[in-house]
Amino acid sequence: MKNLILTTSILSVALFASCSSDDDQPIVQNTVEAPATYNFMRGTESTVSFDGQTTRILMAQETANAFTDFENTTEASLLAMYNHQAGNADFSEADLNASDKNLRSKTAASYDYFFMNTSESAAIKATFEAYISSQINEVFPNKMIAATPGVAGQIADGTRTRYVNAKGLEYNQAFAKSLLGAVMADQMLNNYLSVAVLDEGNNREDNNNDITEENKPYTTMEHKWDEAYGYLYGTSANPENPNLTIGEDDKFLNEYVGRVNDDPDFSTIAAEIFDAFKLGRAAIVAKNYEVRDEQVAIIREKISEVIAVRGIYYLQAGKNKIVDGDRQGAFHALSEAYGFVYSLRFTRMSDNNTPLFTKNEVDTLLNMLMDSSDNGFWDITPETLDTVSEAMAAKFDFTVAQAGSL
Amino acid sequence: MKFLKFGIFLALVAATITACSSDSDGPEETDDAFDRGAMLANWADNIIIPAYTSFNSKVGEMEAATSAFTATPTVENLQALRTVWKEAYVSFQNVLMFEIGKAEEVRFRNRLNVYPTNVSQIEDFIATGNYDFALPSTIDKQGFPALDYMLNGLAETDAEIVVFYTSNPNAEGYKNYLTTLSQTIKTLSNEVLTSWTAGYRDAFVANTSSSASGAVDKLTNDYIFYFEKALRAGKVGIPAGVFSNGTLPQNVEAFYKKDISKELLLEAINASVNFFNGKSFNGNSNGASFKTYLDYLNTIKNGENLSALINNQFTVAKNKANELNANFVEQIETDNSKMLATYDELQRIVVLLKVDMIQALDVTIDYVDADGD
Repeated sequence: MKNLILTTSILSVALFASCSSDDDQPIVQNTVEAPATYNFMRGTESTVSFDGQTTRILMAQETANAFTDFENTTEASLLAMYNHQAGNADFSEADLNASDKNLRSKTAASYDYFFMNTSESAAIKATFEAYISSQINEVFPNKMIAATPGVAGQIADGTRTRYVNAKGLEYNQAFAKSLLGAVMADQMLNNYLSVAVLDEGNNREDNNNDITEENKPYTTMEHKWDEAYGYLYGTSANPENPNLTIGEDDKFLNEYVGRVNDDPDFSTIAAEIFDAFKLGRAAIVAKNYEVRDEQVAIIREKISEVIAVRGIYYLQAGKNKIVDGDRQGAFHALSEAYGFVYSLRFTRMSDNNTPLFTKNEVDTLLNMLMDSSDNGFWDITPETLDTVSEAMAAKFDFTVAQAGSL
Repeated sequence: MKFLKFGIFLALVAATITACSSDSDGPEETDDAFDRGAMLANWADNIIIPAYTSFNSKVGEMEAATSAFTATPTVENLQALRTVWKEAYVSFQNVLMFEIGKAEEVRFRNRLNVYPTNVSQIEDFIATGNYDFALPSTIDKQGFPALDYMLNGLAETDAEIVVFYTSNPNAEGYKNYLTTLSQTIKTLSNEVLTSWTAGYRDAFVANTSSSASGAVDKLTNDYIFYFEKALRAGKVGIPAGVFSNGTLPQNVEAFYKKDISKELLLEAINASVNFFNGKSFNGNSNGASFKTYLDYLNTIKNGENLSALINNQFTVAKNKANELNANFVEQIETDNSKMLATYDELQRIVVLLKVDMIQALDVTIDYVDADGD
C-alpha cells in the first residue's frame, strides 16, 4: 500500500508536469552522473561493444526482405537465413555470411522467460519457421493472382502491392514484427537486463574490482548491458548519440521507438529510454547496482509501451480503413498489428519478473484477430479491433485514442 | 490492488487530459450554415462530370487512333496516335484529383498514371502475352506512362519505332499490348463517367454531412492528398531528388516523350486552381467552392484573407513552374535548383491547404504518411 501511494504521487507529478510548458527535470536521488553520450572508456579504450546485435538486426532485415523476393527465394534459402550457419552464403554481405550468429538461436531464448520453458521456446521458433514455409507454399504460387477471401494472392495498398495469405495476413509483416518482440525485446528486457544475467557468477565481484574479460576492455556486466543497448541502437548512424536518427536506423525496435516518439502523446519516450540506458551503464561503472536496476525498470516499462502503442496504432489504422470502405487497404496495417500483438508475449512488468501479458492472454488476442471468422481479416469487424485495442491499453497508462493518434 | 491502482490512474489521466485540453484544443465545433449541397452540386455538375466527359471523348479518340495505327502501322499513323495520346494525357490532368466513388474503387489514378513505368516487365509481358491489368502489381506496366514507352521509347526515330509494330518477330505482341493499354484506359474512363452520370452524382450531392464520411470531407482530403503526393511530390519533388540522395530524372512524368512534362504540370496546377475557385470546366463562371466557403467563414490568416493568400501562392507557384524547361530531364540535369524552387512554392500551397484551410473548414485529414515498408 505504501508503494501504491508512492507510485501514485510520482505519477501524478509526472502527469501534471506533462501539462506545463517548462521542462523541469525530475529530481533523481542518486549519486551516479550520466555522461552526455553513450561513451564509456577504460583508459584510452572504449569499453562499449555490441557487434553481435548489429549483425542480428542486419540479418533480420535481409531475411524479412527475402520473403517477397519471388525471383530468388526458396523455402530452403529462407530457412537457412533464419538459422544461418557460419560460412554459408545466405546473405548479400560477406560479414553476415562469415558470422557465427543467427536469429533462430536467439528467438524466444531469454534467460528469464525461456531458460526453463524450452517447450514454449520451441513452439515459438516453429511459428517463425511456419511463416517461412507458408509464404513459399501458399503465397508464392499465387503471386500473380488477386487475393479473395479464402485465396492467397496480391492486393493493392495505394501504389504498393501486398502479398497476403488466404486470411489477408502478410507473412513477411507477421514475421518481422514478431521478431521485434521474440528476438530484440526478449533478449534486451528478459535476458541482458535480467539480474540473473547481469549478476551471473562472479559478475558483480569482477565489476567491483574492474576485472575485465580476457583480452577485452570491458567487464562482463558492462558488456551484457551493451548487448541490451545494441538491440535498439546497433545500427544507429551515431551509436553514442543515437536519438539523432532514432526511427531511421532499422525496421525493428529503433524504427518504432522513433515512430511512437513522433506521437505528441509520447514525445519524451525516446529520450527516456536512452537516458535510462546511459545512466544504467554509468551506474555499472560506478558500481551502484540500485541505480542500475532502477534504469532496468524504466527500460522494461518503456520498451513494452512502445510495442503496445504501435500495435494499437496499427489496429486503429486498420479499423479506420475498414470503416472507410477500403478493407484490403487495411490488411497491411493489420498484418503489422498482428506481429506487434504477438510481441506482447515478450514485454515485461517493470517491477517484477512476470510478463505484462501471459501467453494465454496473447493467444486470446491473436485468435480474436485471426479466427473471429473463417476468413480472418476479410471479415474482421471494427468492434473486434476496438476490443483488442482496449484490452492492450488496459495494461498501460495511456488510452486507445492516444496510441491511435499521430 | 492492481485494479485500484489502475482506477486512480485513470482518474489522474482524465484530470490531466481535461486540464490540458482546455487551452490546447481549438474552438468547439460549430455547424456553419454554408450551403454544402450547392458546393457539391457545383463541383459535380460544372467541374467533375464535364471534365470526365471531355477526358472520355479524348480517350475515345485515342482508342480509335490506336486501332488505325495497329491496322496500318505507319509513321504517319504513329504520329497521329501520339498527338491524341498527348491530348488525352493533358486532359487527364483535369480529372486525376477526383479519386472518389468509382474512381477510388477501380484505383483510377494508379491504373492510369504510375511512373516510372517498368520497361523490362513490359517487355516480358509482350514476350509472353500473359498479363492481367486488373492485378495490383501491374500498375507500373499500364496507363499513360506505358503508352509513353510504347509510342516514344521503343527506339530513337519514328521509323525505327514503327518497325516494332511491323517487321519485329513479335509485332503482334507489340500491337496487342498497345491495344490492351488503350482499351483498358477507355474502359476505366467509361466506368467512372458512367458511375457519375448514373446515380453517383445524386448520392454525392446529397451527402452534405460534415463528418469524415461526408462528401465535402472526403473530396477535400482527396484534393489535398492529390496535390501533395501526385502533383507536388510526383511531378516535381521526386524527380528533383527531394526525397532521395541525388536526383531521379528518369522519374519525370512522360519521360520518353520528354518535352511535355512541363505542360502536364501546368495543366495540373491550373486544374487545381480552378477547382479551388469553383470555376466551371466549360466556361468562365465561378460557383460555390473552397474559396467561397473560406470567404463565407471569413477566414483570415496573419491579417489577410486566406482564400486570397492561397490564390496568390498558386500564382507564385505557376510562375515558378513557367520558368522551367519544357523537358524536365534537361531541367534537372542543367539546373535542378529551378525544380527545387518550384517544389518549394508548391509546398507552401500544401501548408496553406493542409493546415489553414483544413482547420477553417473543420475537416480532418484522413491519411498519414506510410512508414515505407
